[in-house]
Amino acid sequence: MTTSAILLIAISVITTGLVLGVIFSLVAAGVTIVYGSIWLPNAANGQFFLTAALICWSFATWLAVPIWVAALLTLAVSLPISYLLEATLIRRFYDVPDRNIAYFVVTLGVTQILSGIFSVTYGRWSDQFNLPPMIGGVTFIGPFPMTNNRIFVLAAATVLLALLFAMLRFHPYGRALRAVFQNREAAALRGVNVRAIYRLSFALGMLSIFAGGILYGMAYSFDLTVAWTMAVTAFAIMIVGGPGSVLGAVVVGMVFGFTQAGVSIFTNPTLATFSYLAAMLVILLIKPSGLFSR
Amino acid sequence: MTAGTTRKNGILNKSAVPALAAACLTLAPFGAAPVKAQSGEPITIGFISELSGPYSFFGTACRQGLEFAEKKIAAEGGALHRPLNFKIMDDQTNPAQAVAAARSLDVQDNVLALTGPTSSDIALAIYGYAEQNKVPFVVPVAAFAQLTKPGTKYTFRVEPDAVGWGYAAAKFIAASKPGAKLALMYSDNALARAITAGIKYQAPKENVSIVADILFPQGSNDATVQAAQVVATKPDFVYLATVGAFDVTTTNQLLDLGVKPEQIIHNVGQTTTLLGYGPRSIGSNYGTFFDANLDNVTPEGRKFIDDFVQQVGRIPSYSENYCYNTAYIIKAAIEKAGAADRAKFRDAMSSLNMVEPTSGVPISFDQNGARKEYMYYMQVTGMQPKSYTAKKQFYIEWAPETLPVYDLVK
Repeated sequence: MTTSAILLIAISVITTGLVLGVIFSLVAAGVTIVYGSIWLPNAANGQFFLTAALICWSFATWLAVPIWVAALLTLAVSLPISYLLEATLIRRFYDVPDRNIAYFVVTLGVTQILSGIFSVTYGRWSDQFNLPPMIGGVTFIGPFPMTNNRIFVLAAATVLLALLFAMLRFHPYGRALRAVFQNREAAALRGVNVRAIYRLSFALGMLSIFAGGILYGMAYSFDLTVAWTMAVTAFAIMIVGGPGSVLGAVVVGMVFGFTQAGVSIFTNPTLATFSYLAAMLVILLIKPSGLFSR
Repeated sequence: MTAGTTRKNGILNKSAVPALAAACLTLAPFGAAPVKAQSGEPITIGFISELSGPYSFFGTACRQGLEFAEKKIAAEGGALHRPLNFKIMDDQTNPAQAVAAARSLDVQDNVLALTGPTSSDIALAIYGYAEQNKVPFVVPVAAFAQLTKPGTKYTFRVEPDAVGWGYAAAKFIAASKPGAKLALMYSDNALARAITAGIKYQAPKENVSIVADILFPQGSNDATVQAAQVVATKPDFVYLATVGAFDVTTTNQLLDLGVKPEQIIHNVGQTTTLLGYGPRSIGSNYGTFFDANLDNVTPEGRKFIDDFVQQVGRIPSYSENYCYNTAYIIKAAIEKAGAADRAKFRDAMSSLNMVEPTSGVPISFDQNGARKEYMYYMQVTGMQPKSYTAKKQFYIEWAPETLPVYDLVK
């Protein structure tokens, strides 16, 4: 194999790992924020991820608005959806003992309902969906031509993750949210409105999942099965990274992205799927609470 | 919803009847198709398809194709001058649900035959029930060879088997460029494994060398790295046996890396997927069994295409065409049998000799229910938002026994 061919493959591994990694990280961060504060293991995260991609596709296709407008509208739509879900469903379990089990069952139900709705609506319109590119053309990274659209997705996801970190670290709401992560009783004693933080974290988590769904739809074609793949991946990342740890979600998300890209080149894509799940089991054997848990 | 319930629910109140009669009388002179006389009990066929779940797109599209034929057959006088009804049931893309539906249609409705699935997994589940309970089963769109394995008595497969698709691909590649280097990229499912088994069997015989062999697990979403691997092997052609969204992603990633559209061969052309490739894919190739761009489309086929476009908003794929033709295959077998009797129907299917109404392609089945195989290869020549144009590159037909299909796919 020539040097150029080796370089082509190596850069393709790096860029693929980065693009998949940031999207995984964004979604897993959304899942872990909600779990960390409300103890809500969101089994419907994959369906919400798909919802975002489908809503964005609908805006871009049916309303024929530019893709950036469709993306912003979709992010905006996530807020009333979050509010409605929180007000009608999530809030009712805040005082239930062992509510994480109740939440898991409830979100499994939401998963089935959304899956059924998509199956008899979008599932009948097409077997696959494509969002128009945000930016056309390609940029050569050495011998590897990377589409500008994917470079945009990579940059946008990185910026969103940086904003999420900055918000959690520096904004008063972010600090309150982290206080609730660590000890909700102590946070309440310090004057933090825990219920308001629950609402904020649910909206923030959904926003993050929606952003992941939109960016995924921009980078790849998608069908209705992507919801199940993403649900498993986001959960695996959250568990390995440590439930409630946004840093863990980001680090492990990137590791998963690179593992998927790297193992598939040295062995095959099938083994790549098992490899990161096997890595998850090994890590959990060594540190059952997850890599970045407190 | 079933065809039966549509009619049951369509209750007309008394005041509406005279108005409807007046409307019919008014419209009759303006070209409404005369409905030939039908009498006696309807003949009912069970149609089990994927109307929800992951395959809902294909099941729904199949039902649309079937319903065009059902209406037309009704206007032509039904079968044996009796109404030919299709009782539609949703299998939810779930094999267990499909078997339950088959049992219900067999025992409760006493249907003459079963048809409808578009997924090989679903068709295989119904196959077991049909063979065991001696219910004739006409499979419109499922290409897994085991549906017509030796010893099959009651199942008839309308779509050529997937191993044969690979055989045809190897022949096409050899005809396009003698001594060609071929890269294979395929998903881990029964259909794709069968296709690639056919390619790997036939390629050495055609002096086609396989320089890359890449299998993707189900649920794959990215092929950038594998596309780079393929490019590094400098193939003459890349054969893609991936489906739906992942097929579109893979195609675009190959194009991003500088693979020319002319080098790409898609296992089969579904309209929605072809449109998903976008204008960049003009020049790429795909296999098919029916295409709106073929010269041999009959006037009836052309009308089917036009009606489909008007109602659905896109041109039909080969799969909708098979579902349309399956209704006519069933009608022809009933008329050949001379009675709505399962044993006679099965025998009539075995000795059927007709042509597809939409394309004129011959239809006959061997002793195991496998159809005489054929395949077209087309090249995309133009792409519009709702349709595409293509030209025929290659055509081949072969007998099912040409290939050791059941040794290649267990």
